[in-house]
Amino acid sequence: MKVDVAIIGAGPSGLTAAIEMIENGLTVAVIDEYYRPGGRLLGQHYEDPKAAPDQRVWNGKNIADQLEKKARGLGVHIFTNVTAWSVSEKWKIHLSHPKINMIVSKVLLLATGSAEKALPIPGWTLPGGISIGAAQTFTNLHRVAVGEKVLIAGIDPLSLSVMIEMKNAGIDVAGMVLPPISPASGNHHTPVQTVARLKDVAGLAPNSFIRTFGKYALAWFPRLIAHALRFNFLKVNGVPIHLRKSIVRIEGSEQVEAVILQSVSADGKPVGQAERMEVDAVCLSAGLYPLVDLAETTGCTLVDIPELGGVIPLHGPDMTTTINGLFVAGNITGIEGAKVAIAQGQLAAVSILKSLGKNGSITVQEAKMEMEKARIQSPLRFLPNIDEGRTKLNKLWEKEGVI
Amino acid sequence: MLSNSYRLDQTEQKTIEFYFNHEKLIGYDGEPIAASLLANGIKTIRTCEITGENRGIFCGIGHCYECRAEVDGVPNVRTCLTPNREGIEVFSSNPSLNKGELENES
Ligand SMILES: Cc1cc2nc3c(=O)[nH]c(=O)nc-3n(C[C@H](O)[C@H](O)[C@H](O)COP(=O)(O)OP(=O)(O)OC[C@H]3O[C@@H](n4cnc5c(N)ncnc54)[C@H](O)[C@@H]3O)c2cc1C
Ligand code: FES
Repeated sequence: MKVDVAIIGAGPSGLTAAIEMIENGLTVAVIDEYYRPGGRLLGQHYEDPKAAPDQRVWNGKNIADQLEKKARGLGVHIFTNVTAWSVSEKWKIHLSHPKINMIVSKVLLLATGSAEKALPIPGWTLPGGISIGAAQTFTNLHRVAVGEKVLIAGIDPLSLSVMIEMKNAGIDVAGMVLPPISPASGNHHTPVQTVARLKDVAGLAPNSFIRTFGKYALAWFPRLIAHALRFNFLKVNGVPIHLRKSIVRIEGSEQVEAVILQSVSADGKPVGQAERMEVDAVCLSAGLYPLVDLAETTGCTLVDIPELGGVIPLHGPDMTTTINGLFVAGNITGIEGAKVAIAQGQLAAVSILKSLGKNGSITVQEAKMEMEKARIQSPLRFLPNIDEGRTKLNKLWEKEGVI
Repeated sequence: MLSNSYRLDQTEQKTIEFYFNHEKLIGYDGEPIAASLLANGIKTIRTCEITGENRGIFCGIGHCYECRAEVDGVPNVRTCLTPNREGIEVFSSNPSLNKGELENES
């Protein structure tokens, strides 16, 4: 199959880009290995206090369905259940599809999103030990409980948000604890460090935080967490958030049966005896990183920018990379929320249109401004120093980028 | 309509019958096989080829390959992103989980 633009990833950035480009005269194919389009949008369901009153509920599945319907209606070729293995020349995309094993395009847009970092604690491979993202997907998309009594290891904006979603769905969440604290790895999970990071969670503030803490929750939440350090835990939605307990290991013969927890001091030193808690599922949350596997096969320059979540393709403010005809959008450029991904999809699309001598519905400059707006409006911030990361990236781009 | 304790709500979605290691189970048409299994309380999908330890879903989105199974004769299918259909036969790749019936067949 031959198209003007091939997009890898049918998440919010890929689908948005597809719509903008087909509306302005390009032929577009989107490839995704999941069984339905939408990417990480599919599992998202929460209240956004920053949105207008009639848009408070962020129902990612509905948004994904709308994007898919619009894209298909306009004639975008969407292939699901198909993995893009590698890309070669400009551009041949090799697929795991029984009939179409290659797509040829003038331009390639990588919108492969992000993946979860592992939290390899003893026992984590037992059935019942799952990632926090899987918990989000099974709860909100498949509507199946991941367990009868669930513990969450890792206290961060994403795991807090998923905890609330699970609680709202009627799942028994026994508590949230810190990841293991090992002096050797010099890790960043002591109670004090966790609280410092959680201050940023005020921006998340799903409705239930407000319900729990009253009208001033937004302003109070950081102080409340700091306060909680002096106590053993803080309760959110009836779930104890153990800021002073860390998980040691998961136990079970056939599958998860229990967890071993250890109390720690504010700076992460073990205090007292370890304890056992019976649960049948453990959700592990260790953060996200941009998915660059496919980008690597293109030979584009990659750079490591921890503020953006790790290794990303070096790219300019208009989403061009170091290779002509290769563009990026969404979480592959840094870990941010869905609203930013949508705006980045739009920006990449108008850049691509421009590179092919066509006009988009807005200018590149306008699309950049829309992206900045989305960044400010995002209810969920995953990384605290995104702006610093973007500045670093722009400097590198000016020095090394090819335009 | 399914009334399994692992289902978070009851809907009018179309149900189907499928088989896991010869056991007849009920799921929703089009949901990932892994979701149907979990809804039936099944967490162990296969055993590790090297260590023999049990494995089940981990990432739920196609990245980790922990949820692999044999589906209608095709080995190493990721059940978290493969839609379930009427009559599908799913097998853990390891015979020990197949209630010994694979030995009879081979
Ligand atoms: C576990 C998790 C939970 C999240 N929760 C939230 C949240 O609650 N709120 C929020 O705002 N943001 C959340 N995010 C951030 C999320 O990444 C963004 O919201 C948004 O979905 C990013 O959009 P995207 O288009 O970049 O990629 P994604 O939505 O991640 O979509 C990428 C798509 O690319 C496909 N893909 C990747 N590689 C290939 C390949 N080689 N071949 C074929 N297909 C491929 C994937 O299957 C996927 O569907 C979460 C992210 C993760 C990983
Ligand atoms: S659970 Fe990770 S690939 Fe299916």
